[in-house]
Amino acid sequence: MLPKGVFNMDRIILGDNQFFGINHMSEEKAQAQSEHFKDTNAIIEVIDTAYHCGIHAFMFNTYDRVAELTDHFRANPDRYADLRLYPSLPYAHKYANAVNEKGIIGALNSFVFADRSTDQIFGTLVCGAMSVVKQDMIDVMKLLIDAEMRMFHDLNVQAIFLQNIVTDLLLGLGVKEVFIEFANYIKKKYSVEPAFNTMNMPKLVEFLLGCGIKNPIVCSVVNKAGYFMNPCLSAYEEVIRTKPFRPMAMCILASGAVPPKEAVEYVVNQKKIRSIVFGASSKAHIVQTKELIEQYFI
Amino acid sequence: MLKGAVIGVGRMGLTHLSILNNHPDVNFVAVCESSSFVRRNISKYMKIRTFKDYRKMLDNMRLDFVIIATPTGMHAEIAKYAVRNNLHVFVEKPFTLSAKQGCEVVNMLQGRNLVNQVGYVIRFNDVFMRIKKLLDCGAIGRLLTLKMEMNGRTILKDAKNSWRSEKTEGGGCLYDFASHGIDLVNYLIGLPDEINGSVMQSIHSVGVEDAVCSTFLYKSKLRGNLLVNWSDPSYRKPAYRMEILGKKGKIIGDLHSYKVFFWNKPEIEGFTQGWNRRYITDFAEPVRFYVRGCEFTRQLDYFIACILNNIPCQICSFEDGLKTDIIIERIAKDAAQRGI
Repeated sequence: MLPKGVFNMDRIILGDNQFFGINHMSEEKAQAQSEHFKDTNAIIEVIDTAYHCGIHAFMFNTYDRVAELTDHFRANPDRYADLRLYPSLPYAHKYANAVNEKGIIGALNSFVFADRSTDQIFGTLVCGAMSVVKQDMIDVMKLLIDAEMRMFHDLNVQAIFLQNIVTDLLLGLGVKEVFIEFANYIKKKYSVEPAFNTMNMPKLVEFLLGCGIKNPIVCSVVNKAGYFMNPCLSAYEEVIRTKPFRPMAMCILASGAVPPKEAVEYVVNQKKIRSIVFGASSKAHIVQTKELIEQYFI
Repeated sequence: MLKGAVIGVGRMGLTHLSILNNHPDVNFVAVCESSSFVRRNISKYMKIRTFKDYRKMLDNMRLDFVIIATPTGMHAEIAKYAVRNNLHVFVEKPFTLSAKQGCEVVNMLQGRNLVNQVGYVIRFNDVFMRIKKLLDCGAIGRLLTLKMEMNGRTILKDAKNSWRSEKTEGGGCLYDFASHGIDLVNYLIGLPDEINGSVMQSIHSVGVEDAVCSTFLYKSKLRGNLLVNWSDPSYRKPAYRMEILGKKGKIIGDLHSYKVFFWNKPEIEGFTQGWNRRYITDFAEPVRFYVRGCEFTRQLDYFIACILNNIPCQICSFEDGLKTDIIIERIAKDAAQRGI
């Protein structure tokens, strides 16, 4: 069980795409970042820079290498006494590759039972045996959440996000039960807020409200250029203005298409947005973005 | 409202189902899938009728269109059955496993007013759509050399117990992965007149190849090289790189950006002499509903628009898919003759 705490959404959260060679604008840049952050210490250096600047909130996708970071956090509790984590799961490419190798059921088994002692496996079997027999995707989902969350044990988790590929795939399928059960399970098992990453924010917000999930936390791309905002910028603005939910903005610079000052100004003017996830690799960039956000978020 | 069905709900079938399930003009009424786990969950949570046998589904349901996303080995047989039932058909790539099979399906379309499309999704990618326009207007002059590279980490262990390790089902890098790059060459430049120097290598797989290379020769003196490897762990996800050198300039593109070098001042608006770099953020158009990439939605919405407007598919028809199948077959034949 993770430590309980009152949830207060962080205003500035450092994202992790830059650490793992993900860049939506340029494959060359992604490759350069991947080389730069080959050594986990290089990632820790940036995290420490952000932490010392007063950014204590971090969003992490569940890449295998994130486990090295969370081990490091646990090994240094004093250094990261006020660390606040926002995991986003699952990392879909990991599953896609495993499905290629082992098929759907084989891949599920390998994730549910990975890195577990015999006792733990026995425990999982007792809890999950019925679901394996029933083969119900909601039960399988719960097993996978637990498998993915293992790397965050004993750390201060603020909210758990359903990663955007999975969120959007399920949104398209229109299965309300999965979203409702995800939200309930995260609250009950982990005592934290459920949250959702998406590339289709307007549609998702309507859908979540239709599921009866009140005031949901939804993180999506929000930028002045309208880049990666589906179906369009104006639909985003309309939903932010009129629907009861807690929006978080990411990709506010549209991978560099919008200058930083204009970018922050635009997002802050969408009144309900009180939280920004951004990616940065250098101290100068971290300090600049933090100062800009604080300057406008008064 | 068009009534549709998906046959084969694996990774691609599920993506297609998700994208079109909320299309305003589409109503999915049936799904056919061999896995009982998938069938059980789709029927329980999506309230869609499920079938194990596609024939039974096509015979019993009143459908307008069908999406075929099974392993490639079954494409031709199912497509024929669907065409015989007068359905509009979208088939995942590659089209079929041989030019003979593909020809049979294409011939069946004669005299039937059916929309037919193959899922070569990169034709709908923002960057390659722009490169196509540049090439079509002769921006870089007569083409001299071409390099098409594709790399990824799809297979890092032998895919035992999976259709991906079975040649007869369409497994292997040539059909399952390189087909995208080969199709892109076919789409942007055309069918090569001669294929030479083809080599297929197994790296992890036992029954199929994991890497393919080949040389394409054209009567126009254009020479092209294809280099594909799906067992390269240094890539996070599949990456494309295309480099085309012409008499007047050069184009280099991947899925996220492209750059054009013009020797002299070009006659194309917005471009100047020397390097011109364009990022996807500069020109990407959002889509109705996004799953895994704008191009996936764009290709399916195009398919549906063709049905609704009663126009033939002009971007990636069965005939286009057949042309790519022909190149694939010639590469395989060339490599087999060499015996390496």
